[in-house]
Parts: sequence; structure tokens; C-alpha cells
Amino acid sequence: MPLDRRLIQNFEWRIVLTAFLLAGLGILSIYTATATATLPLKQHLYLRQATWFAVGAVFLLVAVTINYRTAGRFAYLFYGLAILSLLLVPFFGRVGLGAQRWIKLGFVAFQPSEVAKLALVLCLARYFEDRKERLTALRTMGGAALLTLLPALLVVRQPDLGTALILLSAGIALMLLVGLRLRVAVPVGVGLLALAPIVWTFLKAYQKRRLLVFLNPNLDPLGAGYHVAQSKIAVGSGELWGRGFMAATQSQLNFLPENHTDFIFAVLAEQWGFVGSVAALGLFCLLITRGLEVSMEAKDLLGSLMAFGITATIGLQALVNVGMVLGIMPVVGIPLPLLSYGGSSMVMTLTAIGLLLNIRMRRFLY
Amino acid sequence: MTAWHTLNPAPAIQRRVGRLILVVTAVVVVLVLRLWHLQVLEGDRYVAMARHNRLRLRLVEAPRGILYDRYGQILVDNRPSFDVYLVPEDVTEPERTTARLADLLGMPAEQVAEKLAAGRIRPFTPLLLKAGVPERTMVALEERKLDLPGVGLRVHPIRAYPAGSLAAHLLGYVSEVNQAQLAREEFRDFAPGEPFGQAGVERRFDAFIRGIDGGEQIEVDVLGRITRLVDRTEPQAGFNLVLTIDRRLQDAAEKAFAGKNGAVVAMDPRSGEILAWVSNPAYDPSVFTQRISVEEWETLANDPRHPLQNRPLQGQYPPGSIFKLVVAAAALESGIITPSTPIDCPASITLGNFTFEDWKREGRGVMDLRRAIAESCNTYFYQVALKTGIEPIAEMAREFGLGGELGLGFGDESRGLVPTPAWKQQVTGEPWYPGNTLNTAIGQGMVLATPLQVLTMVSAIANGGALYKPWVVKRVESWQGEVVEEYGPEVLRRVRVSPETLRILREGMWAVVNDEQGTGQRARIPWIEVAGKTGTAQVVRKQLGQDRRGPKDHGWFVAYAPAHSPEVAVIVLAEHAGFGSAAAAPVARAVLEAAFPLPTVEVPRERRPVAPAVRQPTAPLPSPEPVFGD
Repeated sequence: MPLDRRLIQNFEWRIVLTAFLLAGLGILSIYTATATATLPLKQHLYLRQATWFAVGAVFLLVAVTINYRTAGRFAYLFYGLAILSLLLVPFFGRVGLGAQRWIKLGFVAFQPSEVAKLALVLCLARYFEDRKERLTALRTMGGAALLTLLPALLVVRQPDLGTALILLSAGIALMLLVGLRLRVAVPVGVGLLALAPIVWTFLKAYQKRRLLVFLNPNLDPLGAGYHVAQSKIAVGSGELWGRGFMAATQSQLNFLPENHTDFIFAVLAEQWGFVGSVAALGLFCLLITRGLEVSMEAKDLLGSLMAFGITATIGLQALVNVGMVLGIMPVVGIPLPLLSYGGSSMVMTLTAIGLLLNIRMRRFLY
Repeated sequence: MTAWHTLNPAPAIQRRVGRLILVVTAVVVVLVLRLWHLQVLEGDRYVAMARHNRLRLRLVEAPRGILYDRYGQILVDNRPSFDVYLVPEDVTEPERTTARLADLLGMPAEQVAEKLAAGRIRPFTPLLLKAGVPERTMVALEERKLDLPGVGLRVHPIRAYPAGSLAAHLLGYVSEVNQAQLAREEFRDFAPGEPFGQAGVERRFDAFIRGIDGGEQIEVDVLGRITRLVDRTEPQAGFNLVLTIDRRLQDAAEKAFAGKNGAVVAMDPRSGEILAWVSNPAYDPSVFTQRISVEEWETLANDPRHPLQNRPLQGQYPPGSIFKLVVAAAALESGIITPSTPIDCPASITLGNFTFEDWKREGRGVMDLRRAIAESCNTYFYQVALKTGIEPIAEMAREFGLGGELGLGFGDESRGLVPTPAWKQQVTGEPWYPGNTLNTAIGQGMVLATPLQVLTMVSAIANGGALYKPWVVKRVESWQGEVVEEYGPEVLRRVRVSPETLRILREGMWAVVNDEQGTGQRARIPWIEVAGKTGTAQVVRKQLGQDRRGPKDHGWFVAYAPAHSPEVAVIVLAEHAGFGSAAAAPVARAVLEAAFPLPTVEVPRERRPVAPAVRQPTAPLPSPEPVFGD
């Protein structure tokens, strides 16, 4: 197929630039957060993250070149594989940080729950596209709910409450977008809330504790409470202009545990202050609004839903993570897309962004 | 109806997405306001908090679980160790502090200064200066604490071994995770200096034994002195293990085997439970509890006697005449011989240009299988093996668990070796010669087995054909005594050998100990019937005739009792100790005597003699010494 000139014309450079800027900021923050780390293994994390960024960029390129309708055609297969890998985690999974989340493939370990996020979005987009004549039918919505619940339940068992909540939210967002009526959504929501006590029994002790700590931070000053207290000190002491590169004592001196993963935003906020934090938030805003625009301009339901799902997943994670670091949302363990340390998250996010570009490029083709 | 089925779905999605952009904007505004609040409005406060009010997390190490024997006797416990730490950032007068510490701890001042300088890279992280200081030093330091800012004292539990090096190879030892381990992914949750079970049960069950560390959140002032304990989470002690080991048998085995090198293992043949486990020379596990120096480690690791080797599991030896049981089983099962087939037992037989000798210089005449086993006639088994052929013998050996792992679950288990023509061709490029079959028939040549394999094999013969997986942990218990995990016997397989064949083997083993000419008479116990089999594994150098005065042969003895309903099986391998009958059989007897102590006879009360001491004195006894004072 000869390359259509309009494809190049419609390539959305701003999205790529924003994503790469955020990833660069992430690598820099990981470098400063781990420069004085006690474990030799951790001192090289920024190099590993840079490697993952390079791998992710290749995936992005591949995702750009393959027509998103082709991706839609394989959506169910992709979803099936994601579910299968989630099912395999308890058997072949590697245990880390008290949970079993990784599967080892040769010399790389990947996190099936990260793959599940993109798989769910693609699968739901395809599912609604197939049923566009009866989108709001109860049957359709019920099916979508089941498709969402399956990976969410498998992920919550790992246990990874944060990712499970993201999966649920992404599913619900897509359902609302295609027209789930509030008069249906509200009773279902109330029903689900009634199920909360059952879900509560499934949660691990530390997850319950984190939710309780959110309600009362003084409950656990050593665990989750300590995270939030230290995170607030780190962010707050950044003041307007920040303490400067490599001068962030709170996040660098290991006062803040897990600073290179879920709390990376605190490292950034302490170093670059209010100005830097707002700039980073601005980049995320740009990414989200551009993503939503792609969704609005897409020429078919599949593209529109895919773009929306991808944007919603990235946006939700970003906003919830920052809220968590700032102490206004519970600490549920959600990585900050593109910034937090983690190979699976980086590669999957960049792949998703590739798809987003892909949808935008082909908006004139149908 | 939504507009999605029309060609232009834009209006509906645009409306909804448009609304969403509003929501996103609202959330972002909230986040920015929160940032403004934290960083601009309250920034000063947080900067002050960061500078002065230093919250520190201090680890409170969880004690490891206790290891008990099967009857609840403590094998491994914990005791407190007093450690001295430095927080480099808080040391205000380095020279004075260094001098005082050197004096109090009896360390060279340069060493203290060196450590302090090295710790400057991580100024807030407590740095271990000296572990395991005596209690009085601790008190002295405590008294001078105000003069020594930055010096911290900590008590933490370390392993204690009330029984010394008892069963050291089975229990294993605990030491800090090393640098090489920390670099591995599976240790990503470990911090440097954390204790970790490095061998044996301590390693295999580390996740159960280690417990969950607690922590203290403390507030320190500018000098690093603790001003307030903000909160404390109690550590959760690790789970206790109840092992299958029987302390009495273990003690008896260690005592009887003292001074010898090799292995002694006792097992319950009805379940595969390990009752005793000796590997000599042993090491003292307590040397690992404090940080072991490089020299100490190298001395242990490079000791030519290999004290770190877990011989029952990792030592591979030719099984010697014990292998004749395998040959007998293979011959009986393939119908080559019957128990009563008469075969001559000459002093030697000739095959081609080679002469294969019996271990007795004079011929012993025609005998049946029972006598051949009892007297361990080599030439009898040479002839039987030649008739049977190597393949059925090798197959029988594997059937009994030789040449493969038993799956004990810890340590690097050796597989041993069951040689076959195909194996030999592949490894040496040479064909199999009949001479190889002859050597194999008496457990010499290329065949290798671990003591644990031989014990498991004989246990299967004793119990009527079940090959049990050996196991050492009965239960995992919480400190409240709740059972967390429970383990039980696991049959690896039922050996494909007829009950009749097994019965004949047992009869032969009974005769080894109880017949007039039996080779295992030294294992006889008057009050309990013992069955067994001797073995002598020739050491290669001597076999080649290069050095007649070289190291002596390895002596084997395997036994079980009571012979007719076996409850305990024992294997003894004594390295370079000569004949199994002399070197190993007495050790097995000692273990069995501990397992089955001489029964004491109950005498009715009225027939018991009245001991003089019990008699009531009729008058007050005169004082032996004059009473002074009052």
C-alpha cells in the first residue's frame, strides 16, 4: 500500500513530544531518587528505565504503522492472551513486594496487569463496535461489565488494588461514553457498593489498612501513613522554585520509601517546586486533552472508543497518582504513567500512545 | 437511541467528551490548588519539618522461629545480641567520639575513623560499628550516651544453638544476605544486612521462619538524639518448625560417629521421616550469626575435609556390596535364579584375561542366595550378574531410586550414577565390557549413590515396596501454637518388585546380622532383631594398585529394626575407615539401641526390694557436725 500523504500530515507531533518529555522527566527523577540508594541494583534503575523507554519507542512506532482497525480485529485474541497470562501468574509468577505480579519470559519479567489495561480498552472498543445497533441495550452493557470484571478480579487477587481500580474505571468510563444511562448506572453502582463488604474480605490486610489510613492517616505512621507524611514533607519543602537538581534531601535520603515507583512525583515536586510540578501536570493535561480530541475527531466508533479508552486509562492513572502523592487520595499503588519506574508500564503506555497517533492519522481515510 | 449507528457519530461523543474535559479540568485545578497549598502557602513549615523534625524509621527485627525436634526439644533458638551503631550525620565531634568509642569498644581508633568516613556517603543511615558487644560495654555506653551524639545501641535477636553443631548440615545456618544475592531479582525485597537462612532447613523454610520485622517511627533532634517515640509496630516472630528429627537418636548417632568422617542417617521406613542426620566433619553454625570474616569463610570453604559438604545428600560413593541387593532383586524378578539355586562361591573367577576375586581368599563352596547375601560373596554375584545382564540391573537400581533425585527439597542433591552401556558409550566413547558388569555387580566401578539414596532404597525393601520421599519438617506452627502447614508422608512410587522377592531380600538381610557367618554380626542387639547389609567401597587409588598404603576403603552399613516390622532404618557411611562390618555396623547398632532401649521390667510394688534410703528413721539422726551460734 503506498503511503498516503495525509497520514504524515495528520501525524500528531505534539502528543509524541509531550510523551517523550514526560518519559525524560521520569528517567531524570529516577536518577536523582536512586543516586544514593543503598542497593547496588537500584543505582542502575535509571539506565534500565532508559532502556525500557527505547523499547517502548519501538513499540510506539510499530503501533503507529499497523492500522488500528487491524488492531481492532485482533482485540479479542489480545484480550484472551492477557486473561491467560493473568491466570498463569499464580502458577509461574514471581513474587515481589508481597504480591505476585510478574511473569518471567527468558530474561525479562513482565506484568500481565499492565498488558490487561490496553487489552481491555481494545476489547471493549471492538465489542461496542460490533454492537453499534444496540449499544444501550441492557444485554450489551451486561456483557461489557463482565468483560471488565474478569481482568479486574484476577488483578485484585494478585493483589494489585490500584490496577484493578483503573481497569474498572476504564470500563465504566467507556460504558458511560457509549450511552450508559444514569438511571441504569446509579442502581448498578449502588448494587456494587452493597457488594463492597464482600470485596473487603478479599483484600489483603495491607490493602484494608491503606484504605483505613486514608480515612485516618494517624492510624499507621510506619506504613502507608509514613508514606503520605513523608511525601507531603517532600512535596511541601519544594516550595515555589524547588530545591534544585540533586538537592532534594527528603526524597533522596531514603526518607521516602518506594520513591522511584509510585512516589516519583514527590521527587519531582521537591526538586522543581510548584513551578516544576505544575509544568509536569500541564504536560499530562496536554496529553489528556489531545487524546480526547483524537477521540472526538475519529471517523468511526472503533477509533473513537479506542482513543477515549487509552486517554482515560492514562489520564486516570496520572490524576489519581498525583492525588495520592499530595495526600488527597488513598494510597492504592498506581504508577504514574511514563514517569514511574517500570518496564511493562512504560512499554504498554507508549504502545497505547502509538495507537492514539494511529487513530488520529487515519481520521480522513474512512 | 444514540447516534452511533448513523454515519456521523460525532455529535454524541463530542458532547460527552466535552463534558469530560470539564471534569478533567476541575480535577487538575484541585491538584494545582493542593500543590499551591503544600508548596507555597505551607512550604516554610514543610522545609522546617524537613530540616529539624526528622522522622526516622527504625527497624525492629523479628525473631526467627524456633526449630524443635519431633518431641518438642529445642534444636535452634534465639538470643539477644548487643550492637553499636553510628549515624554519621549526627556525630558532631568526630575526633572525640572516635577516641572514646575506640576506648570503650577496644577497637583501634583508625578502624572507627575509617568506618565513620565510609559512612559519610549515606549520612543518615545507621552504620554497624560493632556487633555482639558484651553487656557491660553496653551499660558503659548507655551511661555516656549524652557525650556521644550519633552513637546508637540496639539489641537484636540472633541464632543460638543450645545443642552446638548438632545436625548442623540439616538445620543449616543463618547469615546476612551477601552482595551476590542482593544483586539477584529474587532478593529484591531484602535490605543489606538482613539475616537469611543460607542452608538446610533454615534456607528451605526461610519464608516461614523469618517473621515480619516491625518498626519504630522516632523523632530525633538536631543532634540525632531520640526526642520522642512516635509509634511502634511490634515485629511478628517467624513461625516455629517441628522437625521429624528425634533428638535421642541424633545424639546417639553423633556420639557413636564422633571422630569419623562420613554420614549417618536414620529414617522411619514406614513414612520416610528423617530421624537423625549426621554429616562429619561438621561446622559450628554459630560462627555465622555474627558477621563472618573473609578469612574465616575461606578457611571453612577451602578445608580439604569439606566441612560444608552435606554428605548424606551430596556425597557420592560406590555403594559396595549393598548393591548386591539390587542385583539379587533383578535376577529374581527376571527369573534367572530362584532363592535356592545353588551357585558356587570360589575365591575368584576368570573372565578373558582378567581375574575377579572374592574378598575372602579361600573359596566358600556352593551356596544359595540367602547365604550369598549374608556372607556377601562377590563371586556368587559376579556369576548372577553375568546371567542377568546389565540392563535389568540398571533398571532395578533406578526403580529403587538410585541415579535420580529424591526431592528432599534443600541443598544441592547429588543424583548418583547408574551406569549403562549407552551412558558409557556416550561419556567415554567406549563400549560396555562384561568386566564392567562384574564391577557393577558388587557396587564398584562406575556406580555411585548418596547415603540418602541407599537408605531410601533399603527402607523400601523393609516396608514392602513403598519408595518414600525423605522429609524433615512435620509442622509449621505459629507462636500461638496454631498449625500453619502440616506435612505428611509422600510415596514417590511403589517399586515394581514382587512381594516375594522383597521377602527374600529381607531374609538375606536378617541373615547378615544373625547367621553364624553373617558379615553384620556387630550390629546384633540381644533384645531386638536387626537386619542389615554391609558394604565396602574400594577407594580408587588402591584398586589401581598404585599405592597400597593409600587411604583405606569406605565402610557402609545399612540396617533396620525390628527385623519383622521395621520402625527405624539407619545408614552409616564411614569414609576411609575400612570394612563396613567393623567400621560402620557398630555405629548403626548404637543408633538402633537408642531407638529401642532395653525394656525395663515392671515389678509389682509388693515384690520390690525396699531400698535402705527409703526406710523411715526410728529416731532423729545425730548431727554430723556440731551446731554453732544461734
